[in-house]
Amino acid sequence: MSNPIILNEPGKIVLFMGNEAIVRGALEAGIRIAASYPGTPASEIGNTFAEVAKEMGIHFEWSTNEKVAFEVVYGASMCNQRGMVSMKHVGLNVALDIMEMAALRGVKGGLVFVSADDPSQHSSGQEQDQRWLGKQNCVPVLEPSDPQDAKDFTVYAYELSEKYRLPVMLRTVTRVSHMRSNVKLGEFQKLGREAKFDFDQFSYVVAGFDKLFYGREKEANEKISRIREEFESSPLNRLVMSGKEKVGVIAVGQTYNYVMDALMKLDARERVAIIKLGTSNPVPEKLVSKLLRGVEKVLITEEPDPFVELHVKAIAKDANSKVELYGRLNGKLPGEGELTPLMVDGVVAEMLGEKLPTNPRAGLEVEAKDMLFSRMLTVCAGCPHRSSIYALKRAVKAMKGDIHKVIINGDIGCYGLAWAPPMSYEDTYFCMGASIGVSQGMSRVGVDAIAWIGDGTFFHAAIPALMNAVQTKTNIKVVVADNGVTAMTGFQPNPQSGKTAMGDPTNSVSIEGIAKAVGVEYVEVVDAYDLKAAEVAFKRMLQAPGVAMVVSRRLCATEAVRLIRPKRPIPYGVDVGMCVGCKLCLSTFGCPALNFDEEKKKASIDPTICMGCGVCAQVCGSSCISRRD
Amino acid sequence: MVAAASAGGTRIKTTRVVIAGVGGQGTLLATRLIAETAIKQGFNVRIGETYGMAQRGGPVMGHVQIGEAYSPQIRPGEANALLGFEIVEATRRAVTYLKQGGLVIVNSKKILPVEVISGMRKYPEEGELLKLLKQVSGKIAVLDATSLAEKAGDPIATNIVMLGALVVSCVLPFEKEDILATMKGLIPPRFMDLNIKAFQLGAKAFKESK
Repeated sequence: MSNPIILNEPGKIVLFMGNEAIVRGALEAGIRIAASYPGTPASEIGNTFAEVAKEMGIHFEWSTNEKVAFEVVYGASMCNQRGMVSMKHVGLNVALDIMEMAALRGVKGGLVFVSADDPSQHSSGQEQDQRWLGKQNCVPVLEPSDPQDAKDFTVYAYELSEKYRLPVMLRTVTRVSHMRSNVKLGEFQKLGREAKFDFDQFSYVVAGFDKLFYGREKEANEKISRIREEFESSPLNRLVMSGKEKVGVIAVGQTYNYVMDALMKLDARERVAIIKLGTSNPVPEKLVSKLLRGVEKVLITEEPDPFVELHVKAIAKDANSKVELYGRLNGKLPGEGELTPLMVDGVVAEMLGEKLPTNPRAGLEVEAKDMLFSRMLTVCAGCPHRSSIYALKRAVKAMKGDIHKVIINGDIGCYGLAWAPPMSYEDTYFCMGASIGVSQGMSRVGVDAIAWIGDGTFFHAAIPALMNAVQTKTNIKVVVADNGVTAMTGFQPNPQSGKTAMGDPTNSVSIEGIAKAVGVEYVEVVDAYDLKAAEVAFKRMLQAPGVAMVVSRRLCATEAVRLIRPKRPIPYGVDVGMCVGCKLCLSTFGCPALNFDEEKKKASIDPTICMGCGVCAQVCGSSCISRRD
Repeated sequence: MVAAASAGGTRIKTTRVVIAGVGGQGTLLATRLIAETAIKQGFNVRIGETYGMAQRGGPVMGHVQIGEAYSPQIRPGEANALLGFEIVEATRRAVTYLKQGGLVIVNSKKILPVEVISGMRKYPEEGELLKLLKQVSGKIAVLDATSLAEKAGDPIATNIVMLGALVVSCVLPFEKEDILATMKGLIPPRFMDLNIKAFQLGAKAFKESK
């Protein structure tokens, strides 16, 4: 069955994830190009483009980072082609420089960028609310509530972008990105536009430098005022009010779902006026004023910051200073994080003067929590990062006596789980590429540091920092945990993969080649599965005088097994006669395929989980683990 | 906004199922098969999926709602059934989400987390887990779904065994034939025999459970 994303059957209802619906919307709007950098919860947007781009005759790429992705699509926009950039919320921080310029200089072909925000940080280091960046840069922000909205809003976003010549932010939250629901397909627009650079809008030479360079903020502010006017009567915002209600709700984006469920549960549809708000920047002031004037109390639901709420508070001053505002600012909802259905039920009930029953399971939940482990995160069975960090820990201990004599600064990716037991060997990680920079500051003030960084992250953001170390003669040590793919987000190719996002062969960029080219004095490549060799390499790196790097290389085990399907790797097993029951393999290495029989006091290996890497056999002190050929 | 608004104008009863397991067990495919089938039957569907950062090994949970529903999350205490691919994960979620007296179908397979492997925690006794489940559930069907999948030809078909059990439990608003038709559209033909066998073994095991 071909992917329903490309079904040319307008009116048909299909099941789409929010991220897929966005892709469908962009394809319906006739985009010519899309670019992204993988990151949860945005990754499926790029994955879907990668799958269908060829068939749809468009270009898709996994760019080196989000800034590059934005620039690529902006270049096409200046040539009158529609395009889409997608990234997780923190990716927008990386792309901010060019996003700001695109907003000031304007776009030609519609440019829509997706910021997939992650309130309550399901898979992120922070829950930054990127709507503020939209406001800061005079960029309209659209917030869909479900997959159907996600598709429809995307199509509209291209019209909006071209009408006002502004990039448009489509802002999702994890619950929309990963929600699956019915979506009614629309038609594919056939634009067939000639790609032509617009000299009058973008060329210093033709348009004139002063005209392009100065005074653009005023123009951007004027655009936002006109867009606000358009949003007052936009179908993206719906006010339902009979005039008899005393309570009102402004439900922004996904939180509309919680509000509707709460009203259903409380049988209160007739008693509550509601604005379903799909445009959080600019906020339609007249529409909001109408609600504020018609009721006594208004709840604002949004995630995670009180972004619209703050604006509503300002509007209320003129519209109805007596209206009582409920939300995150008055403490009725928490100041941070996702909302939950129960939170919204509770505050709506309170506003209506009703009381909901308390959770009868509270005691049972505590009992369960005590009994059940939390299932801590760890890297997969056979993961080469487990071997690398095991060898690194041994090398540091042997050279320095104490593992805490060196600070391990990790980075963003699967290998970031090195902090987790039983490895427990990683002190910090922050944001893409930061390991190499912060290690230099520590080293500069006399604290030894190792940067522990993956291949994808190395290409994304580490190279300027590495050149900095060389230029300033800051002799940090760098371990590149190179598993060949951007694994954590779903095995997307990166610059060394030798293939493009669309599956075509291409040149491969060499990590060690870059390191040598920028002047790293000591560079060594080692097989991550060879514990002895890796430990020796790390020791040499620690002794090397200048900036030194070991690339600990082995293809991601999960990817390797995907490539040999339907065959399975040959598993390892424990010779029970020889196992002394020391648990060394479990307590120091801790691969998920290992197990221990407490009665027989013997270790074992689950052959359905084992990836056949054989590293546990190197860990075992009594040589009792071997391959089951 | 098709999903909730166009529920046929009539208020239909909403079916809510929580699917719990561990990353890599194929819970997502099971969820998708249910949803695709429901859509083909003209129902509105809402699915919320929660998965963390790891590719494998972390707790995963799917909330499936068929009928009138807006939120992708089921409220605590409102799920008609819980399909648990791993017994600790099933217990964790049932205690919060299962409607009092609801159905639990659970795979007895244990997937050990790193806390247990490295000796920091003990895996709870099955009896203790069942005792907790009994406080919220009216019927608990414990299946050895992973062994049944192996019997069908591949442990990877555990998800289809579980699905077979759920479908014959009559919680879902459609028939066995409907979901088998969806499977034919989504699963490559060369794996169909294996999956049909897995489905039937799951159905049989459910019917034989007390």
